[in-house]
Amino acid sequence: MIIIMCLLLGVVIALALPFTFSSIVSKFISVGILAALDSVFGGLAASANNSFKMKIFVTGFFGNALVAVLLTYMGSLLNIDLTIAAIVVFGTRIFQNFAILRRFVLERYMSKKETKNL
Amino acid sequence: MNIKKYFTPAHISIGIVCLLLAFFITMQIKSVNVINKNGNTDKLRAENLAMELKNEQEKNIELNKQLLLAKQEIDSFKEEAAETNGYSQTLTTQLQRAELLAGLTAVEGSGVQVTLNDSNAINNLPENANAYVIHDMDILQVINELRDAGAEAIALNGERIVSTSEIRCAGATVSVNNNRYSIPYVITAIGDPVNMENALLMRNGVVDSLTFYGFDIEVKKVNSIKLNAYTGPLNYKYAVPSKITTNTQTNGGQ
Repeated sequence: MIIIMCLLLGVVIALALPFTFSSIVSKFISVGILAALDSVFGGLAASANNSFKMKIFVTGFFGNALVAVLLTYMGSLLNIDLTIAAIVVFGTRIFQNFAILRRFVLERYMSKKETKNL
Repeated sequence: MNIKKYFTPAHISIGIVCLLLAFFITMQIKSVNVINKNGNTDKLRAENLAMELKNEQEKNIELNKQLLLAKQEIDSFKEEAAETNGYSQTLTTQLQRAELLAGLTAVEGSGVQVTLNDSNAINNLPENANAYVIHDMDILQVINELRDAGAEAIALNGERIVSTSEIRCAGATVSVNNNRYSIPYVITAIGDPVNMENALLMRNGVVDSLTFYGFDIEVKKVNSIKLNAYTGPLNYKYAVPSKITTNTQTNGGQ
């Protein structure tokens, strides 16, 4: 409930603001978003495993995003496209976390079915 | 419904995280849309500019036609004026002389026609293809030689060379009166045909030195050629006729 409300609120605020990011800033933000998404999927996977810890989730969310942005910035200073590193790492992890989540959901669904059949 | 259940620290922090994530994703999508749109407008701009250029060129042609008409009108006025009285007659002859000198009238007479073309020779000098291409300097040399031999009116590919004309390298072309021309360069000059031909063909002369590189140069005497008038702009911004006074100071340095 509160999660959906917050999501909607974020969208509304963003739409209401009159300015947009410049193309340079946009590059960093995109990597930051990827890192944040990775944290969210990590959090979901952890909660599926019952190993979800709030502090780890929140620090991971902000920390990953910050580090990803800093890394990209450093890459732009050194003329290395470190966005690729961030994309590969976070992309892989998002898929892994999604796989964990998928397995968890499927297993729970199947076990429910089995209990019904018994 | 237990409201307190929804305001545990966990929920609040997840809420903040979701808010931030949603905010940044939406902002990013908005920005990307704007950036993409700008990229497209760049392309559109190029197309628009091409269209504008075409329009301007068409206008240019139209205006040139109008200019020719206006010039014909002026000519007819001049003829009328010349018929009326003696003073205007002398003025007219003066004007004619001045226009002849400035290249503002179409002229015809005997002269030579020089055709310059790039070299057909096999490039023996490595990395020196430039030596086999006609340059602005080669054209300038030929024209200079023609002037020396008494050419009274010169044109390059139909573009009249006047006192303000430039002959300048412009990539693969040569710019004359800010119009661009490419090979073959045809230089037509009115003057003494024998004199001019001899000047060009003399030993170690211009043609001699250019044929060394295998340039295809043809010098032809012609009995009658017509050279168009200079049609470019006549804007003298800086040079103003100075008044003739008795104690003139223009010859300083004496």
